Amino acid sequence: MSADQELARLLEHPAIWRGRSAARRETLPTGCGALDERLPGRGWPRTGLIEILVPRFGIGELSLLLPALASLTRGAAARWCVWVAPPANLFAPALEAHGLRLDRVLVVRAESRSPAARGAKSGRRAPVPLSIWACEQTLGSGACDAVLNWTRHRETKALRRLQLAAERGRTLGVLFRPAHLAEESSPAILRLLLAPSTRGVLVTLLKSRGGVRGSVEIELRSKGN
Amino acid sequence: MRQRVIEWAQDAHEAEVSAPADAAPQHPGVRGSSRSAQNPARKPALRSVTSDQPAAKPAPEFWIGVHLTEPASQPLLERLAIRAQRFTPRVSLVPPDGLLLEVKGSLHLFNGVEGLWRALENECVLLGVKPLLALCPTPLAALVAARASSAKPCIVTGLQQLIGQLAPLPLTALRWPPETLERLAHMGVRTIGEVLRLPRAGFARRFGTEHLSTLDRLSGRAADIRNRFRASERFRRKCDLTYELESHDAILRALEPLFKELGTFLRERQCGIVQLECLLRHRHAPTTSCVLRLAAPGFDADRLRELLGERLSPITLPEPVRSCELRSGALIRNALASSSLWQPGEHGGRVAGESPELIERLRARLGPEAVYGLKVLPGHRPENAWGVAEPQVRNTVAPSAAPPTARAAASFPGGSSPWPAFHRPAWLLPSPKPLSERDGLPWRRGPLRLLGDPERIETGWWDGGEIARDYYAAVDIHGVRMWVFRERTSPHKWFLHGVFG
Repeated sequence: MSADQELARLLEHPAIWRGRSAARRETLPTGCGALDERLPGRGWPRTGLIEILVPRFGIGELSLLLPALASLTRGAAARWCVWVAPPANLFAPALEAHGLRLDRVLVVRAESRSPAARGAKSGRRAPVPLSIWACEQTLGSGACDAVLNWTRHRETKALRRLQLAAERGRTLGVLFRPAHLAEESSPAILRLLLAPSTRGVLVTLLKSRGGVRGSVEIELRSKGN
Repeated sequence: MRQRVIEWAQDAHEAEVSAPADAAPQHPGVRGSSRSAQNPARKPALRSVTSDQPAAKPAPEFWIGVHLTEPASQPLLERLAIRAQRFTPRVSLVPPDGLLLEVKGSLHLFNGVEGLWRALENECVLLGVKPLLALCPTPLAALVAARASSAKPCIVTGLQQLIGQLAPLPLTALRWPPETLERLAHMGVRTIGEVLRLPRAGFARRFGTEHLSTLDRLSGRAADIRNRFRASERFRRKCDLTYELESHDAILRALEPLFKELGTFLRERQCGIVQLECLLRHRHAPTTSCVLRLAAPGFDADRLRELLGERLSPITLPEPVRSCELRSGALIRNALASSSLWQPGEHGGRVAGESPELIERLRARLGPEAVYGLKVLPGHRPENAWGVAEPQVRNTVAPSAAPPTARAAASFPGGSSPWPAFHRPAWLLPSPKPLSERDGLPWRRGPLRLLGDPERIETGWWDGGEIARDYYAAVDIHGVRMWVFRERTSPHKWFLHGVFG
């Protein structure tokens, strides 16, 4: 091995920051080579808020994430993988079949119990949806590896708080939001827009720190079909 | 007999003084010592001679054994122990029906043995239990004597008289296993005196050293250390408010001094609590109670206050609050763990022991049923194939079952799941949703395209959940992959049951 190669390998160390580039981030392989090529650091970030914008629920956004979640939950010191306010019941056998360890999965139901009425009565802070509150708590607790949330909340201030909480808790936060919010600004470090295609999904990078912009088509593994 | 022992003691002494080179095997001292080792009954006599003291010297400890004629529950026994702590701090429990008190130091405070005896009996009678008492120099002897006590109370104050007093008592009072007692009975050994007369080595070989050490503790030859009973403490403080308070924030502020006291209380005892009740009293309305339950002992009063705040916030108060009170559950010893150098999740950092703080905080606000884990159930119907599980908080870093691989999904061996991998949707609707049908195909915002062959899932007659369905994967015009089924029974309707996601 030449000295150059050795030096390059040394500089790969995540604890080393180099002045001219942004700080290297720990990343997580997506399980899909084409997507890894495009993403900064060749994978999902380990820390921070990312946004996945989908035109419709269920076009394959979860399949995109499941390999990464599986490797997170199977790690030696795996923390929780939290699903905040999921839109339907999670089907445990399917998650297990995708390789997730179920004892690291935590589901948090956060149906708002008329927060407006409560806020008005006690005359306190402006009502934040319970799901956003739960999301911020889990992101900032440091006890979670990944937090997934489905929300229609569009207040940038709340999203900014989520991003800060994710940095504080060293957690990957994933927000699934409707595609029509693509034009709005967002504090997330990575934004992906998904669109259905004939073979799988078309992933467009809307925002990424140091990644290659553009679209990539991902074939979803539709097993048994 | 006594004369012989004295002689032997002198012999033994001489044997020790004389040169060991002259240790002939026939030396009476050597023989004597081996014989005395086999016979525990002689030991006390020997001690009294060698210690050069008059025979009436009182023992260093006096134990009162209390035997209840009927087995009592643990709480009752603890209540009795708390009452008995009036006589001495050294009280130990012998569940299910015994209690031991060391009273040497406090006899003179209660008019001697008789006075204390009577007072103790009174305490027992007040609790509705009938006691049998005995006083002996060793705890086990006191207990055994109490169990076997008859009309004449057994009071022994000197170690010398102990063996003589215990000798006629039946062996059953020792509570050895029935088979041991039966074997001894076959050998003609029925009383404690008889068993003490058996050769030690042979007894240990036949019945085990455990029983031998019991006999040693009985006769005072070996120390018998008893755990002291400590009454469990609780925290309970009340504060009357100067003004009637309505807002939650103001009530929490009013509770602050109570929490400060609670923090000091817990710190002093190095203990934590798992339950905290807050009572809010009103002028007319019944008292509002708010109970905080923790998954693991809480020590930090500030954190407890925050959690109680979250727990209080959804409660609507019927009236302003006049006074509040904090009551803790039982105290739990604080076991501290060392923290790790790196933060969890950081490069090289590991979770040293997971704190259940997050789950508690979420449950305090959202309700206990809103936070749960998942588990796979061995059912073949989709509805019965999964269940809700209590989240498992890990205390230490368990060696991971599977080595961490980046592509765990790809190399998934099948695991415990009976399902063929990837055939199941990640999302399951709470109940199947009917779909309309056009040209024999299901319709949802457009025609659904069916993928692949159907999978048939049937029966469930044993619990009334009979089903007969053909499941298909389907794609709608927007590219959403769904799991739909068609009922096999007439009218063969289509339903949407899951989304692959």
